[in-house]
Amino acid sequence: MSTLELVGLTKHFSGAKQSAETVAVNDINLSVGDGEFLCILGPSGCGKSTTLRMIGGFEEPTSGDVLIDGASVVDMPPNRRPTAMVFQKYTLWPHMRVYDNIAFGLRLRHQDKAQIDKEVRDSLALVGLTGYDRRYPAQLSGGEQQRVALARALVLQPKMLLLDEPFSNLDALLRVRLREELYAIQRRIKITAIFVTHDQEEALSLADRIAVMNAGQLEQLDKPSQIYAYPRTLFVADFIGVMNIFPVQRQGDLLHIGQYALKAPEGLNGESGLSVAVRPEDFTFSATDGAWQGVIDQTIDLGHYRKVLVIVPGLFGDETAALAHRVKVYMPKSVQARAGDRIALTPSRYLVYSDTAVTRTSSATRTSSATPNAQPIEVRNQAVSGEDDR
Amino acid sequence: MPMAITSTTIPMRRAKKRDWSWLAGYALIALPVLIMVALIFYPAVLALIDTLFVPDATTGVTALSLSNYQAFFKDRILVANLLFTFQVTLTAVALLFVIGYPLALYLRFSKSRLASVVQVLTLFPLFVPGVILAFALIQFLGSHGMLDSLLHAFGFTGFRTPYLQPQGVIIALVWESIPFTVLVLTAGLRQVEDAVVESARDVGANSWQIFMRILLPLSLRSAVIVFCLNVIGIFGAFTIPYLLGPAQPMMMGVSMQQTFNNYQDRVGALTQAVITFLFCAVVGLLYVRTVTRGRKERA
Ligand SMILES: Nc1ncnc2c1ncn2[C@@H]1O[C@H](COP(=O)(O)OP(=O)(O)OP(=O)(O)O)[C@@H](O)[C@H]1O
Ligand SMILES: [Mg+2]
Repeated sequence: MSTLELVGLTKHFSGAKQSAETVAVNDINLSVGDGEFLCILGPSGCGKSTTLRMIGGFEEPTSGDVLIDGASVVDMPPNRRPTAMVFQKYTLWPHMRVYDNIAFGLRLRHQDKAQIDKEVRDSLALVGLTGYDRRYPAQLSGGEQQRVALARALVLQPKMLLLDEPFSNLDALLRVRLREELYAIQRRIKITAIFVTHDQEEALSLADRIAVMNAGQLEQLDKPSQIYAYPRTLFVADFIGVMNIFPVQRQGDLLHIGQYALKAPEGLNGESGLSVAVRPEDFTFSATDGAWQGVIDQTIDLGHYRKVLVIVPGLFGDETAALAHRVKVYMPKSVQARAGDRIALTPSRYLVYSDTAVTRTSSATRTSSATPNAQPIEVRNQAVSGEDDR
Repeated sequence: MPMAITSTTIPMRRAKKRDWSWLAGYALIALPVLIMVALIFYPAVLALIDTLFVPDATTGVTALSLSNYQAFFKDRILVANLLFTFQVTLTAVALLFVIGYPLALYLRFSKSRLASVVQVLTLFPLFVPGVILAFALIQFLGSHGMLDSLLHAFGFTGFRTPYLQPQGVIIALVWESIPFTVLVLTAGLRQVEDAVVESARDVGANSWQIFMRILLPLSLRSAVIVFCLNVIGIFGAFTIPYLLGPAQPMMMGVSMQQTFNNYQDRVGALTQAVITFLFCAVVGLLYVRTVTRGRKERA
C-alpha cells in the first residue's frame, strides 16, 4: 500500500524520420492516495499505456519524475520497482504451468518450497482458480488467463498494481464479471491500483478517481460523479457519457443557437468560440410548451429508460443539419413517445464552455481573444427566453 | 419430372468435385518427391548395396558382409578422420550458438538505428561463395598474410597461422553459417511477444534469467532447427576443409574425395559416404520431428 506521484511526466518518441517526434505524454501531474483505485481513461493513442509503462519502469520518461511513497523510482528497472503489472494480452509464459507462472517470481527471491507452495495456492484461491495449477496457459480461457496474470502479480505483494486494459480482449459479460472480482480483491487487500482503459463504463464503475487523458495531456482528474456532472473541458464533456453540444453565438447576455437563445451565465468571458453542453437527462419536455420545437425521429428502448432522438430544425436553420445533429433526450418509459410525435424541449441544466473545440481531439486550441473561462459555467433552471428574432 | 432431375444432378456434381481435390495436394509434392528419390534415396540405396555385398576374394561370389565397414573402423587414419569431423562439427556448431544468440537477441530487442546495419553485416557472408572466402582467409590469415604482416609491423612475431590447421577450417565454417543461424534464431525470438519478456522482468528476473528461463525455452524449436541443419551442413562440408584444412586428419568430405581419386577405391569412398549419410540422417530425423511437432502444436 502506497502513494504515487507523477511530476511533470513527459515522454517523447522519436519517429521514423529524424524530425517526426511524437509527444506521447505531455507534462502529467497527479498524485494517487494509499489504497486508491485510479483509472486512466482516454481514447486510443492518447498516451495511457505510455504513462503506465513509465510508472512500471518499461519506458524511460523524457522528463519528469515518478515518486512512490515519496521516493523517486525513475532510475530503477522494473524488477526493482515495488510495482506489478498486468498486461493486455500474451501475459502468461506459455511454456510454464499455471503453478510455475505464479511461482516464478517467488523462486527468483529464493523463498523456500513450502512457503512458495502456500503462497501460490493462496493467490490461486484469491482469484477463484483453485485446482488449475497443473494446466498450461493454452488450456485456459482468456478470462482464466487474465486471472492467473493477476494472481502472478499479486503473489509478490507489490505496493502498487498496474493494469493495462487487462480485460479488453474478453467478451462483454466476462469483462463485467472480472471487473467486479478485481474491485472486490482490490478492496480486500487494499492495494493502490492504477487501471488503464478506454472503456468509460469500466472506469466509472471501478475508479475512486478517473484521470481523463487526451492527446498526451491530463484533461481532468476527479471522482466519477464529478467527471460526469462537471466535465472540465469540452473534450471530457464529449468523451464521457452522452452529451449534446451546441456551438453558440453570444450577444450581450444571450447565447444564440440558431433561432433559439439561452441565457448567458454571469461571469462568462469571451464572445466567440463558446459552446453549450446539455446532458440527455437535463431536458424538460412536453408536447407543445417548451423552448425548442421539434419532431421525434427515433426512439430507442434502453431497458429502464428510453432514448429519444429529436430533430429540432430551429437549432440549425436547415433540415439536413438538424437531421445530422439530432438532439439526444432520455425519458422515463412512462412517458408516451413515438416517432413522428411533436415535442418541445427545454434545457433545465447546461454547461457553457469557453472552448472552441467540439471535436474530440482539438481541445487544446483555444482561439478566444478575451481571457476564456478556464472552467465551464453551470446554469440551472433558468427561465429560458423563447424564440428570439421573432 | 423436374424434381427428379435437380435431386440427382446436384449430389453428382458435389461428388465429382470432392474426388479431384485431394489429388491436387499430391500433384504439388510429386515433383520434389520424385527428384528426392532419384537424386538421394536411389543412390543411397545403391551405395548401401554396393558396400554390403562383397565379392569373395577367391570364389568371386558376392555375399552379404560387413567387411567394408569393419575395414573402415579398423583403419586408424579413417577413424581419426571421422572423430576429427565430429570434433570440428561440434566445435563449429557450439561457436555458432555462442555467436548467433547474442546477435539474434540484439536484432530482436534493439530499437537503435545500428540494428539494421548489424542485420546487413550478419547477412554479408551469404553473398560470398565458399571458394572466395577460403582464398580471402588465406590472404588475411595465412603465414605472411595481412594479419601476420600487421602484427610484424607492431613488433609481434609469435603469430601462428590457422591456415592448414583445424582452427582455420572452423573459422571459415562458422563464418559461412552465421547468416542462416542468426536469421533462424531471430525469427524464433521474434515470436516471443514483448509482454512475455516484460512481465518476466516485472516479477524480478534479470537479463540472464530472462534468457535462460523464458527466451531459450520459447525459441528452442529454432535452436534445434539451427543445430540440425548446421550439423548436417558442416559434417558433410567439402570446399572449405579441402582448401583450408590440415592434410591429416581430414574431414570426411575430403577423405572421401581422396579415397576415390587418389586411391581409386570406389567402395571405400562409398563406405565413408554411407557412414556420413547415416549420421546426417539421424540428425535429419530429429529435425523433421521438431518441425512436424511445431506444426501440430500451432494447429
Ligand atoms: N515505442 C513507441 N515508439 C514510438 N511511438 C510510440 C511508441 N509507443 C507508443 N507510441 C506513440 O505514443 C502515443 C501514445 O501511445 P500509447 O500506447 O500510450 O496510447 P494508448 O493511450 O495506450 O492507446 P491504446 O488505447 O490504443 O492502447 C501513440 O501516438 C503511439 O503511436
Ligand atoms: Mg494502450
